[in-house]
Amino acid sequence: MTFKNLFIEHELSPEIEAWIKEEVDEQELRYRAVSHDMDNLASMREKWYQEFFDRITTSGFNEDGDAKTPIKPEHLPVKPEGRNDQVIWKYGIDDE
Amino acid sequence: MARPHIEPFCDRDVHFKNMRLPGFSRGMGYKMLSLDADSGACSMTVQLDGGYHQPPGFSWSEREMIIVEGELKVGDQTCRKGHYFFIPAGYCMPAISTQQGCLVMMMYNTGEPSHEPSGEHHPLAQVDLYHSIDSYMDIPWAMGNLVKPSVAAGCLIKLLNFNPISHAMTFLYCMTPCFKQDNISYHDCAEESYHLWGTSWMMQFGDIPTGGYFWRPAYINHGAFASEYGCIALGRTDSKLFNHFHYNPWTTPKENQERAGARLYQRDPLLYKWALSYDHNHPHGPEDFEKTMQLRGNEQGHDNEHKSDGKRHDHWHGHDHQEDGSPHHHHHADGSHHHHHHDD
Repeated sequence: MTFKNLFIEHELSPEIEAWIKEEVDEQELRYRAVSHDMDNLASMREKWYQEFFDRITTSGFNEDGDAKTPIKPEHLPVKPEGRNDQVIWKYGIDDE
Repeated sequence: MARPHIEPFCDRDVHFKNMRLPGFSRGMGYKMLSLDADSGACSMTVQLDGGYHQPPGFSWSEREMIIVEGELKVGDQTCRKGHYFFIPAGYCMPAISTQQGCLVMMMYNTGEPSHEPSGEHHPLAQVDLYHSIDSYMDIPWAMGNLVKPSVAAGCLIKLLNFNPISHAMTFLYCMTPCFKQDNISYHDCAEESYHLWGTSWMMQFGDIPTGGYFWRPAYINHGAFASEYGCIALGRTDSKLFNHFHYNPWTTPKENQERAGARLYQRDPLLYKWALSYDHNHPHGPEDFEKTMQLRGNEQGHDNEHKSDGKRHDHWHGHDHQEDGSPHHHHHADGSHHHHHHDD
């Protein structure tokens, strides 16, 4: 995805291409570390999800700005069977 | 390929590396925050050492900068913490220097970091787009309800840059102490944030402290939101920001995208049906007559090279997609048509 603005065509020297490759490799390590850390947060997240459900069924869900609507407990979602609690998606929709 | 989902990442956890790309002066250290593997476009926190000096010149890429700490001299102007710059590709900046050193966030939007020493703008530079402002002192905080449905009160913004074509935005945002917003959000655009000061919390990712960063591709769940003591951050989107709020933490990006499509169908059914049924779903969009119509001041033709999506096309066109590698059948604005191959 780009910012959809002007880019001026120019030649990339081997030095620049090597720099980009090195940064891409390092980014891959950074991505894996982040992904690993977020997987390790799963049990904490389970608690946070429950607290979130408690709040939106009592003080309400922020529909728009400060307008809050309490959600009926029977309208809370059920976690689909077999689905992992995944929060990191490498390239979003292209990651599935 | 694009930038991967990096969330959260704190730049305080890594060391500065010396910038060794050609054109940049010595005394420039950087921490890479995210990078587009194809184009080299990237966001970095940059430390300029005391005494750093860079001669006048331009970048091949559009870029943005904000001073995080310290002072930076740009030409004759001394710029302080919070000063923001939007610099079009090819725009020649005056010499920059810093006496005591400074910390800057630099974002190269369309290509790798580059500096071409020059005393003048590149002929293709869109020089009128350049602007800079002291975002801390010269812009008031505004309510965050720039878009509807909006964030909760207590999330305030200062708009720094807005692309009228793509609706991409750069903005400062802050959360006041005890800020809370109990919903899960996702957007049709990628979103980026760098915490200049303070900590915020999101239900998926936990705390993001000072120096915390994320680059999040479109349609990924984030929120609920909170900040105990408040925070101030630089935010960016790469196209129009729409808040799709919901309360199901287990949805996938694909399900979120389908819901966004369903909502488009419900809101703009004629446009939705047209886009699907007329083979006009070219990846770079259908023709925009405002870009192609003949103008009285230019009756010989129109600018058919530079387009709002950053792609270079010979003409706007609709086409019938066929199997990969096969010729495409193009209809042109002048009524002619022909076949050719696409690289993308």
